[in-house]
Amino acid sequence: MVDFTLTPKDEQLVNIAREDSAIARKYARYYDQHHDELEPVALPESEGRPDPYALLEADPEGTSGPIVTQALLHLEYPDVRMRRDASRFLGTKIIKYAGTPEQIEHFGGMLLSIAISEPGAGSDPRAMVGNARYDKATDEWILNGEKIYCSGFGEAAGAVVLLKGPPDERGIRPFCSFVVEKGSPGLQPLGQVDKMGMRAWDTADFVLQDCRVPSKNKLDADFKRTLMVFNGSRAMVTAFGLKTARNLLDTVRENLLNGELAITYEQGRNARSSVRDRLIALEALHDATELMILRAKWSEQRNGVTAEDTMVEASMAKALGGVATRRITQECMELLGPLALTEEKLAEKWFRDARIFDIFEGAGEINRLIVARWLLGYSGKELS
Amino acid sequence: MITFDLSEEQELARTAMRGFAEGELRPIAQKLDRDSTISTSTLDVLWSTGLAQMQGADEKGRCSILNAIVLEELAAGDATLALALAVPVAFAQAIMDQGSPVQRETLLPLFQGNAFHAAAIALLEPHFGSSVSELTTTAIRDGDGWRIRGRKTLVPLAAASSHFLVIAQAEGRRVGFIVDRDASGVSVEAPVPTVGLRALQMSDVRFDGVFVPASARLGGDESADVQRIIDSSRAGLAAVMTGLSRSVMEYVIPYAKDRVVHGSALASKQSVAFRIADMYINVAAMRLMAWRAAFELGASRDATRSSQLAFTYAAQQSMVIADEGLQIFGGHGFVREHPIEMWYRNARAVSMLEGVAGV
Repeated sequence: MVDFTLTPKDEQLVNIAREDSAIARKYARYYDQHHDELEPVALPESEGRPDPYALLEADPEGTSGPIVTQALLHLEYPDVRMRRDASRFLGTKIIKYAGTPEQIEHFGGMLLSIAISEPGAGSDPRAMVGNARYDKATDEWILNGEKIYCSGFGEAAGAVVLLKGPPDERGIRPFCSFVVEKGSPGLQPLGQVDKMGMRAWDTADFVLQDCRVPSKNKLDADFKRTLMVFNGSRAMVTAFGLKTARNLLDTVRENLLNGELAITYEQGRNARSSVRDRLIALEALHDATELMILRAKWSEQRNGVTAEDTMVEASMAKALGGVATRRITQECMELLGPLALTEEKLAEKWFRDARIFDIFEGAGEINRLIVARWLLGYSGKELS
Repeated sequence: MITFDLSEEQELARTAMRGFAEGELRPIAQKLDRDSTISTSTLDVLWSTGLAQMQGADEKGRCSILNAIVLEELAAGDATLALALAVPVAFAQAIMDQGSPVQRETLLPLFQGNAFHAAAIALLEPHFGSSVSELTTTAIRDGDGWRIRGRKTLVPLAAASSHFLVIAQAEGRRVGFIVDRDASGVSVEAPVPTVGLRALQMSDVRFDGVFVPASARLGGDESADVQRIIDSSRAGLAAVMTGLSRSVMEYVIPYAKDRVVHGSALASKQSVAFRIADMYINVAAMRLMAWRAAFELGASRDATRSSQLAFTYAAQQSMVIADEGLQIFGGHGFVREHPIEMWYRNARAVSMLEGVAGV
């Protein structure tokens, strides 16, 4: 039976996350202006505050489910985190599903990022030039390359790095991944990336220059197996972006449509002012995206993260979310008017924050390719 | 809890209505559009789906999501025919939900028979800038009854309707009045052809000082909530637009895969493939929005916001989908051999109506 109701426990957990967001807001401008400074492991205000994610994981009984309710929490994404969430470290996740028991024991407790993108390879990882070759004499792998835009790398102990291995008998270079810990000779962190927005989000580059790692650092994870880690993350990231859009919708309502001017949903098109009409359209786009996120997460909860349905729905949510986040934030700025341009309000920050969401973790174009190929029955060669 | 599982009943209805729409509605859609009329036998075939009769069947009340599913499936066959059925069903739903005991007793049996029974909600008004929240049709107390004055427009199947639920401005609020089509002062004008949904034969209906007794007020007293009727209609229209958009998409895909342009299939070109992907995404999104509105209506919650947003989203996206669908067909999209141009016209029309459906 189709149902859109949050359970009391859903509401309870969402309220905690919502309060966390409200509390963290006072730090928003600071971390926006100090991108080199990493977010603290936990805000002072986290003391005595429950972690809704941990509560959910410990006991999902009475919620809409561990994955669906987690999505509700993602939709409350804060400007600055209340506390670190280890599950956001994708390298660690890869260890957990692709690692040998020894690797899990050795690396599983570390915070590890994932490193894929390079200056010449973003949505097309196959274009990467970063490479690995084996030194039989020392049983080590020698790694070379430049990795950029690695989330969490500033804070992490290292990264799971995707590189091209030695050519096989057909001359094709397969992909392979390695754990590289900070402090390894040949690994040079380059510091925080200076981004337009999401400046509190730890994003760092690094160089590998003849960086040697023992063969036990090599994971049994090729291209597909490594990228599998993104399966759950598309809809999650969409939710983060949607929150920046919601922040701007809230700002419009608070400043333009408050009190007597509050928006009413009864009116037909012709009776609405331009501001109300545009806001209604933007709210519709916001809510449509939210439902698509919940639907994708429900599919994941029901059918597993690798099911075809789950993957297509996650791509659908992300593609729509990219449009929604861009359009809502751009238009809300217009509706707010010139006062929104100044740093007096956080509106301009959210406008800057929003723009990455149609790009990273699956650009809109890539997600449309995924949906189109599936829908039209085309391979990657048939529809490039 | 949040879940998207359909019940067995909903799954069965979806499958059955899909088959019915493909077999019975789609094959006659273009002819109906050209003739601008629906035969009595076709109306009876629509009636045989049981949608009208089913509304009051379950003592627990109807399932609004089931209605949304049915409307989508019928509209995927043909939006005009889906609305032809939705219109009297919406009237019956309003009576069922908000009618007085006498109104329910008198009117609901009309919708339980085997023959199509036309009745309509008369809401829209014929002046530019008109809005359903500010109506010019008035009802003024006259003795122990009311006098209704005004003009309603785009009332589907008006000529065949036995009753109208007229939404009028009365003592500062919008009120519904059940008006017999044959009452003195009611004139159903000849239908003026419309750009889309032509076979609905939408007419203006004039109310020249029509007297109705107090018992004709919907609900019999002050309690009826007209906004709820409009909300339900917006949700129903969103479901219809979902079906219409889906039919465009489903028609476009095989064509685009077959059509070779500059050495490769049209669908294999990124620009075209992306537009098709967007159709799929937005059909899914508008369906969820329609379901959410239907869910809130069915759960007797405040559904004004969700219905408005569902309608707004579907209205915007269904026009885009029909537009891009037509574009993909090129010149073939512009000629009447293919149904695409009809769907383009229908999309424009459905996205601009109010009060003609319900869940």
